[in-house]
Formats: sequence, structure tokens, C-alpha cells
Amino acid sequence: MRKATQLAGAVCLLVASVSGMAASVLAAPPPERYLHVKVEDAKEGESVNVNLPLSIAEKILPTVNKGELRDGHVTINKSDLDGIDVKGLLDAIRTAPDNEFVTVKQKDEDVRIAKSNGNLIVHVRSTGQEKQNVDITIPLKVVDALFSTAKDNELNIGAALHELSDAGDALLVTVQDASQHVRVWVDSKSSSD
Amino acid sequence: MVLLGKIALGITGTMLAGVGAICSQGMIEVNVVERQPEVHHVYVIAPAMLVPIVTHFIPRHDLGDASQQLRPYMPTIRAALDQLQETEDFVMVDVKDRKQHVEVQKIGGSLVIDVKDENETVHVETPVRMISSTLEQLADKESATAD
Repeated sequence: MRKATQLAGAVCLLVASVSGMAASVLAAPPPERYLHVKVEDAKEGESVNVNLPLSIAEKILPTVNKGELRDGHVTINKSDLDGIDVKGLLDAIRTAPDNEFVTVKQKDEDVRIAKSNGNLIVHVRSTGQEKQNVDITIPLKVVDALFSTAKDNELNIGAALHELSDAGDALLVTVQDASQHVRVWVDSKSSSD
Repeated sequence: MVLLGKIALGITGTMLAGVGAICSQGMIEVNVVERQPEVHHVYVIAPAMLVPIVTHFIPRHDLGDASQQLRPYMPTIRAALDQLQETEDFVMVDVKDRKQHVEVQKIGGSLVIDVKDENETVHVETPVRMISSTLEQLADKESATAD
């Protein structure tokens, strides 16, 4: 009888410790996500790294009220939209299979816009006097969040930042010209190395 | 004799409590090493709590402009500093060129700035809480003059 009581006590302790561990794992806050910007100039031998925790960006954004930016929303001038139904366009892209949607070839510039693996991809290749390659990869969820406001001419930067912090590691922008290389990406590392 | 002992114990206790209170916001550390043309070394370490206290005694008219310029940015600064205290340690800015290296980091509860070049090395470490309370003091001064 005494042994049974001891065994029951041990089992209870084990269950309590396992459930406690599980609770602590479940309650652990998600790892901090960082927006990294790295600019390297091989010609000048310069490099600039800026690392911003997305949680700080999310807190700061609603406090900035200047120009077109109000409460984390940016208002676009309706004339700039030129009558384009951005939300309808995005909906069409979202439901379409992976594909290249726009290809513009000019004398000294190629522009390609495509959808691939849930990302909206923009490639620009300039081959003129100033050679420059620009690659932009934005998760469609972030683009959706950006246009998630009730108004057609408003960008919800706060929601986009929030969605970006929930998305996985992502290389967002790279710009390469003759001497400079710019990279913008998101990950969980606290430095750019 | 017992009375003297009690008095000594009281004084020591008060001093320790005072030192503890003064150091409660951490310490400011400034370390400057100049190598050229002559070698100079300046090292200052001071309780961070003294800065907002000193700010409190600066005459309002001397701070008028600074406070006025600071005030519109206070909600942003407040949000940034509050969240900065919550985040883990990270490198905020890192700038390198052939001659200079500048690094701004958050380490522990402090903001750490390091500048290294051929001629000098500068290290400044200030607790985030101190920056926050000093800026609040400055902003309050503005509202006091406005009233």
C-alpha cells in the first residue's frame, strides 16, 4: 500500500513537471525578428549595417504622424493610382498560379514581375550607362497586409510590419550597381553577420 | 559605547542605502583614449541617476529651445526607449570605412557607443533608463514654461 502511494506520488510529480515544462515552452515569447539593412561600397571601402528589431518598429510607427504617414497608415494621392484597382489586381495575382505577369524589355532596361512560392518578385536590370540590378521579393501576405485597409488609397504599414515579423527569414531587396551593394532582409539574428 | 555603535551603524546603513539608490539606474561610463599627437586617457564613471537630477536644476530659460524641439518627438522616443529596454541585446548600427569603425549596440540595459579610428578610441555606455528619464525631464521643463 505504501509503495503504491509512493509510486502515485512519483507519477504525479512527473506529470506536473512535464506539464510545467510544456507550459513554459508554450508561454515562451517568439524570438525577436530583425529588419537588416546592409550597404557596402567596395570602391570607398565602406560598409553600413543597420539592424532594427521589428517589435521596436511596430511600437514606433503609430507615434509617427508626419506628412502622408498617420497612425501607421500612408495615404496615396488618388491621382497617383490613376484609376487602378489595386485590391482587385492583388486578388487576381493571389489566385493565379505561379507565373511571370509582366515583362518589359527596353533598350537599356528589363523589368520582370512574377509570382513564385507565395512571393511577389520584381527584377529590374539596367544595362545603360549606370548598370544596376534590383531584385525585390515580398511575401504576398505582406502585400495583402499592406492593402488591408478599408480605403483604396491607403497603405497599412503597421499590418505589413506585423505580417513581416510572422513571416520566415526573407531577403527582401537587393540592389547592385558598379560599386554599391544594398541588401534588406528579415531574420532572427541580432547582427548582420 | 553602545550608543556610538548604534549611531555608526545608522550612518553606515544610510550611506549604503544612499549609494544603492544613487546607483539604482546604473552607471555612465566614458572612456576616451587619444593616441596622437599625444597620448591622453580620460575615464569617467558616474551614477546615471545624477544626470536627470542635474537636468532638473538647469535653468528653464537655458533649455527653452532644446525642450521645445524635443517635445514633438517625445511619443516616438518614449515608445522606442520602452521597447528597447524589453528587447534582447543587439547591434543597432555598425559603420566601417578604411579609417573608422563606429558601433552602436544595446547591451544589457545600456546603450553602448564605440568609435575607433587611427588616432582615438571612444567608448560611451549609458543606461537606457537614464536616457529616458533625462529626456522626460527636458520635455517636462518645456511644458512648465508653456503653462
